[in-house]
Amino acid sequence: MADVYKLIHPVKFCNDYLSRNIRPDGRSFKQPRSIKINVDSIKTAEASAVVKCGNTAVVCGIQLELSPPKAEEPNVGFLVTNVELPALCSSKLKPGPPSDQAQVVNNIVSDIVLNSKCVDLKDLCIVPDKLAWVLYCDIVCVDNDGSLVDGCIIALMASLKTLSLPKVSYDAETEEIKVDPKSRTKLEIHSFPIVTSFVVYRLNQSNIILADPTAYEEDICGGSGTNLIVCYNKGLFCGTQKFGGSNLSKDCQDDALKTAKERANIVENIIDVCIRNHKNSSINE
Amino acid sequence: MADLLLSSTEKIFIVHGVQDDYRSDGRSNIDYRPMELETEVVSHASGSARLRLANTDVLVGVKTEIDTPKPDQPGLGKIEFFVDCSANATPEFEGRGGEQLANSISNMMQRAYQSSQAFELKQLCILEGKQCWKLYIDILILESGGNLYDAVSLAVKAALFNTRIPFVKAVLMDGGNVDLQLSDDPYDCKHLDVGCAPLLITLCKIGDKCVVDPSAEEESCSVISVVVGVTGNTKSYCSGKEIDSVKSLERKCSTIGMNGSGSLAPQTLQSAIMQGMVAAESLDEALGQALLRERQENVILKKHAYGFLK
Amino acid sequence: MPLDYKRFNGPEDSISYKRFTEDYIKSYDQLYQELIDENGVRKDGRAVDEARKMFAINDVVTQAKGSAYIELKQTKVVCSVFDPREIPHQNEFSQLGQIYCEVKFAPFSCPRKRRPHAPEAEERALSVALRKALEPTVCRHLFPNFQIDVFVYILEHDGACLAVAINAAGLALASAAVPIYDIITACTIAVIDGKMIMDPTEAEEHLAIMSPETQTNHGLITMSTLSQLRQITDFRQIGSLDVDCVTKAMDLLQKQCMKIVPNIQRVLVSNVIKYHKERKKLEEEAREREEALNKKMEEWKLLLNAG
Repeated sequence: MADVYKLIHPVKFCNDYLSRNIRPDGRSFKQPRSIKINVDSIKTAEASAVVKCGNTAVVCGIQLELSPPKAEEPNVGFLVTNVELPALCSSKLKPGPPSDQAQVVNNIVSDIVLNSKCVDLKDLCIVPDKLAWVLYCDIVCVDNDGSLVDGCIIALMASLKTLSLPKVSYDAETEEIKVDPKSRTKLEIHSFPIVTSFVVYRLNQSNIILADPTAYEEDICGGSGTNLIVCYNKGLFCGTQKFGGSNLSKDCQDDALKTAKERANIVENIIDVCIRNHKNSSINE
Repeated sequence: MADLLLSSTEKIFIVHGVQDDYRSDGRSNIDYRPMELETEVVSHASGSARLRLANTDVLVGVKTEIDTPKPDQPGLGKIEFFVDCSANATPEFEGRGGEQLANSISNMMQRAYQSSQAFELKQLCILEGKQCWKLYIDILILESGGNLYDAVSLAVKAALFNTRIPFVKAVLMDGGNVDLQLSDDPYDCKHLDVGCAPLLITLCKIGDKCVVDPSAEEESCSVISVVVGVTGNTKSYCSGKEIDSVKSLERKCSTIGMNGSGSLAPQTLQSAIMQGMVAAESLDEALGQALLRERQENVILKKHAYGFLK
Repeated sequence: MPLDYKRFNGPEDSISYKRFTEDYIKSYDQLYQELIDENGVRKDGRAVDEARKMFAINDVVTQAKGSAYIELKQTKVVCSVFDPREIPHQNEFSQLGQIYCEVKFAPFSCPRKRRPHAPEAEERALSVALRKALEPTVCRHLFPNFQIDVFVYILEHDGACLAVAINAAGLALASAAVPIYDIITACTIAVIDGKMIMDPTEAEEHLAIMSPETQTNHGLITMSTLSQLRQITDFRQIGSLDVDCVTKAMDLLQKQCMKIVPNIQRVLVSNVIKYHKERKKLEEEAREREEALNKKMEEWKLLLNAG
């Protein structure tokens, strides 16, 4: 019955729940969905992570390549992030080149990662003007049930945290490159950006915010994707973006910032614990 | 092959004929329709051939270029197929209609030529790890009268047989550079060894049996066909003294694929593959004879000029 | 190649670091010895005729009508099927429904090189092969002028990816309640140096396609079957094999395809049971609510009458 009601009166269905202070999936307004992380499950990538936030599933894989650095910045390496939204992850997407939404998400993720300076690009340079690492971080969404950016950043950070670079020796005279994949050094991560998405919903003349929305909630609130994303970096507020949807009141904004800050702490801990557990289990094997 | 309307009785007639190995135009199930083959038709290509099989008309040109080999296969050359379905070939090819067919033909050819037992890519190597020949095989379908896979593979083999590659001497200079020396004589060329190049045989399933080279009427009685790529026998492509030095090789399948929306019983597939081998054997021998004769004529007599479209 | 402005591109001339490792180029014999030891045991401990254990679940993609995820050790494939929709950009009425298939590799899915984002020849060929395998399976006459989208995403490629894609697509079609004639199953066999190797890994596939110096049989075959109807829907071979070898491989493949069927059936049946249980629970709850409401109604009625 509920399914039919949801299809016929999508707005009323949502209102009925929200006016009773509960969301259609049984969460309270500021309660995010549970997170599952699995690191290093894809062996073809140098580092990888599979992240599930509720139903949203994201896979991130990092591959390493070598290239001479740019002439204008001879001691800087490359970090290339791409978010792929294949047609299979949502019924709204059609096959073909990346949709507008995919490009927007792609830009947000890249901005957050590069601006947070979590990877010092100078660490990626091997020999100035001659050789540098290129980190291709490809993030694929397998199931898009809202709050995509959260999942992407978590997956990316979890994979970056487990990444180690092989040792490279470069002969300046013969320009010969030798790589020893057995001796590796860990890549240093300098900061830890975590994103929380919100939607702003207009309910009885007032606005409320819902943390970590599902695809259904995103649709109801208008706009494409989430309305508000807030980024925290190790307890420091580092950015927010607002797209479409209803207006955001001062109270709601403060609320959102507080929720995001708390969540960033928790998520960082979750990632650390997952990586630690993975390490322990791989040692035991 | 615009929509051909056949009544059910006409279809039954065809199916019964195939059952008894006697088709409506008098052929047996493994007979091809007569074909015309002409080589060296495009003067700017390294090798070329034109084949006409009933209404199907295919022109193949081979272009050679010097390239660097792939890093994981330093001793091998490269070969690439490109099929262009001319929009005039059949009404279905208008716009982008032929693209999918063109892709699947070039794919099939690439797969058939993949094994070294089908085509030895080593003969295209100039200097290991540094320089090799790359063959671009451009296939132009001028007119489509069905059975394109077979016609294309025949024409490609003929064009490769006709291809001449200039002798190049490569010397490694210091600093890893390569110096190429080309002979002054433009006729100082070598022929490729294409004896074992594969032929594609399409077997169209009609009733419980399969036929090669189906006519348009026969094609409309069938929902599925099997394409079998069969390697050739080098012996059929050698003349005079060479014949004794070459040992005869067993024919093998270099690729198998299926076309059409139907499905097959395993026994039918097995017998189709067997039938394809038998058909390929006679076809390959006939092609070898024709190509050798053509080459001899070119050497002894001066070939009198044909126009491209006669 | 034109620059892709819709994505971020790395430097043009970047090369995977694996090119510069010591053991980048290995000879045929070296690879062979690494993969199969003299007792005929493979690198991962399997016998030559032993397939990998399959892990399959359906309904993994909540946004799709039906979906499936299949894992053969390292090979990981997701497939989702969407509701039928009218065939876009078509003038003529089509009597039979169409199946649109798209196979994509994740950029990080292949061990040898990074996959470009733009569709390439191999992906297109796999899409065509998948469509050909599925066409005889689906009752296409039931939805004329409509198309069903089948999307396959290969997260990690460790051999037999077409076979896994076909299995996943079959499972996804069944869980999306698309009418099909029979459960479709597929598997791959590699022939290396005349040896039949069931369900090869990526390294074994690579070796099977590589040409040895000798004239022995080598190649790869992928076959998909409808097990109950005993029909072959697709058969793809590459390499160089004699007829005996093809026939022998076909028998082995048929047997293996039959072995996969119960796995798929189990997943489907368990899903039906799960759905049935959920349904029962919901109905139960609805009835309880109804009873509670009725009780309330009675009370109110009594109150009204009394008042």
